[in-house]
Amino acid sequence: MAQFALVIDLNTCVGCHACATNCKEWNTQAAFGPLSDFDPYGKEPHGVWYNRIMTYETGEFPNTQVFHLPKSCLHCQDAPCVPVCPTGASYKREQDGIVLVNYDDCIGCKLCSWSCPYGCREFDEADKVMKKCTLCIDRIYDETLPPEHRKPACVLTCPAKARFFGDIEDPNSEVYKVIKERNGFVLFPDMGTNPANHYLPRTETKVHIDEHILKPDNPLFLEVVQKHYKGG
Amino acid sequence: MHPPFSLIWFFLTAGTSIGLFTFTYLAELLSLFGFDTSLPRNMVVFSVVFSLILVGLGAVGASFHLGHKMRAWKAIKRFHTSWLSREAVFSGAYGFTLLLYGLSYYFGLNAFFIHLFGITTLILGWLSAFSTAMIYASNRFVLEWNTSLTVLYYLNMYLMLGSSAFLATTYHYKPQLVKPFILLTLFFVILGLSFRIAFNIRQFFLKRPTLNEALNLPHNRPIRVLDTGTTTNNYCTEEFYYAKGKEMLSFVIPTFYVVTFLVPIALLSYSLISGNLSYGFYALTYASLVIGSAIERWSFFVEGNHVQNLFYGLYPKEGYTLRKGYMERRKTKISL
Ligand code: SF4
Ligand code: SF4
Ligand code: SF4
Repeated sequence: MAQFALVIDLNTCVGCHACATNCKEWNTQAAFGPLSDFDPYGKEPHGVWYNRIMTYETGEFPNTQVFHLPKSCLHCQDAPCVPVCPTGASYKREQDGIVLVNYDDCIGCKLCSWSCPYGCREFDEADKVMKKCTLCIDRIYDETLPPEHRKPACVLTCPAKARFFGDIEDPNSEVYKVIKERNGFVLFPDMGTNPANHYLPRTETKVHIDEHILKPDNPLFLEVVQKHYKGG
Repeated sequence: MHPPFSLIWFFLTAGTSIGLFTFTYLAELLSLFGFDTSLPRNMVVFSVVFSLILVGLGAVGASFHLGHKMRAWKAIKRFHTSWLSREAVFSGAYGFTLLLYGLSYYFGLNAFFIHLFGITTLILGWLSAFSTAMIYASNRFVLEWNTSLTVLYYLNMYLMLGSSAFLATTYHYKPQLVKPFILLTLFFVILGLSFRIAFNIRQFFLKRPTLNEALNLPHNRPIRVLDTGTTTNNYCTEEFYYAKGKEMLSFVIPTFYVVTFLVPIALLSYSLISGNLSYGFYALTYASLVIGSAIERWSFFVEGNHVQNLFYGLYPKEGYTLRKGYMERRKTKISL
């Protein structure tokens, strides 16, 4: 059974928010829009986003690392947000594993958002229905688009090429390979949701210092040594 | 979690309705077995009409929680998977059979039919109560709620509301039942108190997930939230974390303990011990239970912490931290 998903490389994601912005841009005018905004230019802008980027810092000062985590619906294979829906508006597609909301059936009870451990569903106060990432289902199957454009908006726009899209169950797909080769991991594995979206872990990058820089006659020698040994 | 007033309204109206009907009908049922509990006709009619009005008002109130009220009927479609769907079906059916019971009683139908409708209504009412409680108790992402205590307390709340409402009613129609119902109400209130205390104590012993688990990082790696991507609140930070409510909890929790449990216990035991059986005590008991339960349900929501708050750094802390080179288990810190 196919399971479409996104794979996001935390090594190259620079946290520019381009994916979130392009997601909003595409989806607000496409089949699953709009993504309503309130007071967009005022003091308290408020609105629906399918994709949000969080920034975290690990390690103890001064040895810290910052990384960015773009988080949209993970299209969980055991999606807990589906069975709780009283109307069946929240459903998971058999053919490609995409989790969607049928806006015509949704009564806006918000119970599905209570049952998502990732905070990936947002209620639209204007349309009064629950909204979430559609994996750009209105792009990936659109035959009027050139084949190279039949990908999610966020994947196409990512300037760092940190986002991959494909079928994680298909051993020939790019996403299957990167997950395998680079130890792709999922968020909150203990929650029993079995997310389809994966993340590629950060790998340590070591600074290589050339021999000649460390020679005492290098005018920058002191600075380099100080910098290098600051941490103790 | 953000407390929705429409749902609190539903809990109180449905609670009184189902509770009051339960005791009214049980008294009628017991009289079949030779007990002297048969109620005056006026009291049964009053109870049933009052229960009907309340469950109607409850349904209207609860619909304000929905984005699309006119589609509410669609909520019956996923009966086999969703507790919310079951609640909708059972409470709708409860209202309908309650009406049938009322009509058959009023027009003096065959006793067999009256009791058939009565028993059906009773069962449906409690199935509806159980389904409502399960919506919360089955949510495994709000650890505070995910316990049988949620269900026990909730069902007992219906009994507290019902028996105190019955007490205030029976005072006018069948005073012989006042004393037994003082005892019964006292029993349910004390039971409720112990369930609620257990619910609160349990929160200190919860094994809470950490941000490291959420991000699937090793336990010993210190991690901080730097930025959540927006300068203002969004749906996730408002629906799952009610900042204003959290600040008020340290005041609200003691308040509802006093109003829901201590005041009714004091009123009823005074009335029982002093032998002063005046109506004021029972009316006040019911009023105190309703107001207290409203505050208690509000607090129940605000006390709940959704695990998605981890991503925003808004979750109570517990787990392992790296300090001076060795691992230390941190105590759960509950910020009231
Ligand atoms: S990430 Fe949340 S909304 Fe998406 S499928 Fe999983 S549980 Fe459902
Ligand atoms: S908000 Fe809509 S999609 Fe979500 S559970 Fe309720 S009816 Fe289903
Ligand atoms: S797949 Fe589409 S809907 Fe989902 S986050 Fe990317 S752009 Fe948004």
